[in-house]
Amino acid sequence: MEKIFEQALLYDFYGELLTEHQQRIYEDVVYNDMSLGEIAQECGISRQGVHDLIKRCDRILQDYEQKLHLVERFTKAKQKIAEIVDLADAETNADADTEAEHDAEAEKGARATDAEMRQKRMQRIRKLAEQIMEEL
Amino acid sequence: MAVKIRLRRMGQKKAPFYRIIVADSRSPRDGRFIDEIGTYDPNTDPSTFKIDEEKAKKWLADGAQPTEVVGKLFKTAGIEK
Repeated sequence: MEKIFEQALLYDFYGELLTEHQQRIYEDVVYNDMSLGEIAQECGISRQGVHDLIKRCDRILQDYEQKLHLVERFTKAKQKIAEIVDLADAETNADADTEAEHDAEAEKGARATDAEMRQKRMQRIRKLAEQIMEEL
Repeated sequence: MAVKIRLRRMGQKKAPFYRIIVADSRSPRDGRFIDEIGTYDPNTDPSTFKIDEEKAKKWLADGAQPTEVVGKLFKTAGIEK
């Protein structure tokens, strides 16, 4: 994972727990991709000072994450929800396909496998939903 | 005037999404920019990005400095000066 993305997510979840001063400087990093030198110049503190402050904020935010796991849970839930959406899309498309087909013999065979596929998708959706509930 | 190529965050909370922009190094925070040359979306797996190669090369040739992350993206996209 790209560092700026990791920092941005952590900041979205725990940023408000930083002091105002820390928030301002951390936002320069995660919102505006500013370099240490630029921030130092703008805030009138040394480059080393900015470096230390950002490092400290990284540690504070990671510490919250280790205790609360909000980002981890969010990311996992998001992946599962995306999969559910994919399954729902597949189901919708399958419906459209069956409606399009009208060859009697072929349709019979197709229907059997369609039903199987549908069942599999539904089972998977239920499983994912259960997992999401468990992890909440 | 120093010109930088940097990311600027867009998108809502918990779904960071970035534009790759060209801006004066003295106005990183006021939202102004000279040019937009692409986007970077780390939410997808793997992350996706779009870069206008012609513009990127032009700006690099003109001496615009990419930030570390943007430099990495350029490298992945095979864009060099």
